[in-house]
Amino acid sequence: MNLWLILAYVLLIAAGIFLLYKAFKSGDRRFIYLAVAFYVIFPVLITLHLPIEISPEVRQLYKAVESLPDSATVLLTFDYYPSTLAETEPMSRGALHHLFRKHCRIVTMTTVPLGGPSIAERVTRNLAEEYGKVYGIDFVNLGYKANYVAVLKGMGSSIETIYPTDNSGTPLSDIPIMKDIKSYSDMDFIYVVSDNGIVDYWMSIVNAQYDIRVGTGVTAVMAPRFYAYLQAGQMTGMLGGMKGAADYEMLVNQPGTATKGMTAQSLVHLFIILSVIAGNVVFIIEKKRKRQGAKV
Amino acid sequence: MNLVDFLQIWIIAFFTLSLFSFLYKDNPFYKIAEHIFAGLSAGYYVGLIWHSVIIQQMIDPMLNNDKWWLVFPGLLGVLMFSRFSKRFSWISRMSLAFVMGNTAGIFLLSELHGKVLPQIQSTMMSLNPGQGFADFLLALVIVVGVLSTLIYFYFSKEHKGALGKAAKVGIWMIMISFGAHFGYTVMARISLLIGRVQFLIDDWCGSIIQLF
Repeated sequence: MNLWLILAYVLLIAAGIFLLYKAFKSGDRRFIYLAVAFYVIFPVLITLHLPIEISPEVRQLYKAVESLPDSATVLLTFDYYPSTLAETEPMSRGALHHLFRKHCRIVTMTTVPLGGPSIAERVTRNLAEEYGKVYGIDFVNLGYKANYVAVLKGMGSSIETIYPTDNSGTPLSDIPIMKDIKSYSDMDFIYVVSDNGIVDYWMSIVNAQYDIRVGTGVTAVMAPRFYAYLQAGQMTGMLGGMKGAADYEMLVNQPGTATKGMTAQSLVHLFIILSVIAGNVVFIIEKKRKRQGAKV
Repeated sequence: MNLVDFLQIWIIAFFTLSLFSFLYKDNPFYKIAEHIFAGLSAGYYVGLIWHSVIIQQMIDPMLNNDKWWLVFPGLLGVLMFSRFSKRFSWISRMSLAFVMGNTAGIFLLSELHGKVLPQIQSTMMSLNPGQGFADFLLALVIVVGVLSTLIYFYFSKEHKGALGKAAKVGIWMIMISFGAHFGYTVMARISLLIGRVQFLIDDWCGSIIQLF
């Protein structure tokens, strides 16, 4: 490894410790913001590749997709708002790389109104171009429909009733890929990428009632909740936050923004661990001092 | 990079920096960004619902596919507007009653079938030590964790003696779960910051460099 790079990172860690000291001394939390900013900006500017250990739940999802037959039909959802793009878009991109490479037929949709339809359109078309896939034959974007419970339930009996047209207004009957995809029973796998509680309904309504395998990519805030589904064997693999996205990028051999962001992620986590320890030490010392002061 | 892409990047960068400026202190740039976001979201949402629900799922099928009966759900929707009048607001309860009944019916089945039963089933694990140490330990943690946490939420008897000790184990389990949630939440928030910084450095600064 480059000696200058090591020196730069040592200086960065020293600066973080100094800012933490200043924050404790002055009681101004903005010093901590500044330290976090340093730890995020620096690794984006000068990349240091820290090793990434792939999580078992990510490997499980990868294997599930890998085991699908060629030209299998997969429903890929874009159930997320633009505010969580940093975590969710790399998941969608990783999924699309994997699915297009396997020549799967992809149906995309969203239950999120703000941004969902356009993100699905942009990301899917962008990667389809890379793999030479044709809209309407290899993939289709159904877009958004309100009232997700009705949408999830209704698609079990007829997709066309819920989505009479695709995202750009073309009737489903005019789209070749939709000729033999009428409901969940014509699909092999559901890949949900989400930043909200809709995952619960994909599990309890679609997975449980229509007996179709569901794999998910969720934001880190939501991930701990869904381990219960994994442990129960209801969910087929899960990508949790940027780490899950980075793992998947590694597995499909397409390192992208998530992989690039993991160094910053690790540095900030180390800084937060240090802050928590330092905060507790300062708290204990002050408590002891107060006790001694009270005795005197 | 064409002019539209360039402008788009600069508008995004302006609003990102305006929102970040709140970290220093509240200021007019932050307020402008916040208000524009709220207004744009509301406008976009109204347009999207009008097109994808009112037109596509009600008016079009009524006019073109003879689904005249869609007038009834439409009417139920219109009744919701009676909430704006103090005198007639009771009418909206009819629509709410329909929504509540419908939702209860759907969720009763899905919660039971999709959550309660499979989750109970997955906690019924064998505690036979012969299955291997790792599996035995995992099963033990799950069984003890579930039982002690359930005991913690049992309030019909005072938490004393064996019940109190079991409830204490339950609190520890809940605390460990909170710790995991906190760790993941930190990762989520930092990820969002990384995403914005990647945009500002790669795209925005990239567009500035392209200028020269």
